[in-house]
Amino acid sequence: MTISAAPDVVLDHLSKADGSASYSYAGYAVTATVNGPIEAQRRDEQPFEAIVDVIVRPAAGVGGTRERHLESILCSTLRHLILLKNFPRQLFQIALQITSVPENDYVNSKLMQASSSQNLSVLPTLFQTAILALVSAAVPMKTTASATTIAIPKDYGSPLLNPTPRQVQTSSSIHVFAFTRQGDLLLSQSDGSFSQDEWDVAHDIAKDVCMEKKREEVDVMLDDDESQTQNMADLIRAEAQMKTDSDLHWK
Amino acid sequence: MAEEGLFVLPGDLIDPSFIPSHPKKPLRLGPGLRHIPPNSILPTVSGQVYTDNRKNSIWVEYNGGRYVPSTNDQVIGQIQRSAGEHYYVNIAPYASNAVLPHLAFEGVTKKTRPQLNPGALVYARVALAHKHMDVELECVSPSTGKADGLGPLVDGMVFNVSLGLARRLSMSKKENSKVIVLDLLGDAGLVFEVVVGRNGRVWIGGGSVADTVLVGRALTQTDEEDHGPEAQKNVVRRLLSERK
Repeated sequence: MTISAAPDVVLDHLSKADGSASYSYAGYAVTATVNGPIEAQRRDEQPFEAIVDVIVRPAAGVGGTRERHLESILCSTLRHLILLKNFPRQLFQIALQITSVPENDYVNSKLMQASSSQNLSVLPTLFQTAILALVSAAVPMKTTASATTIAIPKDYGSPLLNPTPRQVQTSSSIHVFAFTRQGDLLLSQSDGSFSQDEWDVAHDIAKDVCMEKKREEVDVMLDDDESQTQNMADLIRAEAQMKTDSDLHWK
Repeated sequence: MAEEGLFVLPGDLIDPSFIPSHPKKPLRLGPGLRHIPPNSILPTVSGQVYTDNRKNSIWVEYNGGRYVPSTNDQVIGQIQRSAGEHYYVNIAPYASNAVLPHLAFEGVTKKTRPQLNPGALVYARVALAHKHMDVELECVSPSTGKADGLGPLVDGMVFNVSLGLARRLSMSKKENSKVIVLDLLGDAGLVFEVVVGRNGRVWIGGGSVADTVLVGRALTQTDEEDHGPEAQKNVVRRLLSERK
């Protein structure tokens, strides 16, 4: 299974939430809603900044430790992006529902009974959906960011971008990176055994995918016809621009 | 000088030549922008940047999200309860209540203050919006002591619209040529009053209940389906034909 389909994005499709997004890529699909700034419960509220509440729901069944782990990673990453100091005593609620996960043809596994490495590989999709929903909810942020997964195969082959479950299983390590549009590292989670050099290679590939290209570089890339991989930052920009254009058509 | 309505994402660099400069007036930053000393101005939301050289101001236009109160906005609130010398007023769902002092109405004394029950609607101005404090509302102009149209809203109905449409509706006709649905309904001979709150609530009343509902439906349809002027005409025509 190779991932040839372009990412699929729908913004602001749920009318009752302040912002929402659906995003599917590499076999994973996630729907997110964002509400905020809303009133935090008295016992939770922080006097000087807003709190971020991330809820991850699996494709089937109720969430467990695995989802709590993903929530804590996402929460600590998103806290760096949202301007929390502008909303003391408030709450931003981000709910993420996984709607589909890629099937592993080699293992007859139940839905969402994944190993810890597969647990990591859903993280970029969750993160990307959360960012799109935050943009749709017009939550004030410092910048936008994107995430991706890299797998290093056991046979020392070239690193794989957005690996399939089978590729994850047969790889020696997988890495999840999130970068801001400006190219600052936000999140780095790795699983398996790897050397510093392998990590560096994975880091550089992920940075290339997540960081926004300068205008001139994009033109050069188009000329070379090498833009096979989807740049995540460009995707967010294109979707947000489309939404803004349709929102402001009364202008 | 860059074009008006330039699209930005949070954290984009705004070309310094685009930021207006005025020899005397200070630069005014509108919604969606933040200033990081000494001299960078960054957008915090995705939208289009507009400037006004005369007022020396720059801001980001966007639609969507939740209403965040800012001073001098006129909003429609719903009374939650009365305690002590204040009413607690809801201006956005699940947000903290705003406070409206009992004496912040035109020409009231402690004896003659309006008795508002939970659920009553008020049209009020945001008197104080500070992130560390409760939002304060008032239904009277502090300088003139006049209500200027603010106060309790009786009868009628409230419809929820997007923040962008509420902003369009509260603009003058000259600036807002593409939302014509209310003008069309008025020209068709319907009698109604409209009060637009910046918090995405529109109160319609003053006429028969059927007409109120009709106007509300025309407005919410225009909002939900993003109708342009032509489509608004069609909506109005269809609703009016059903009215007979």
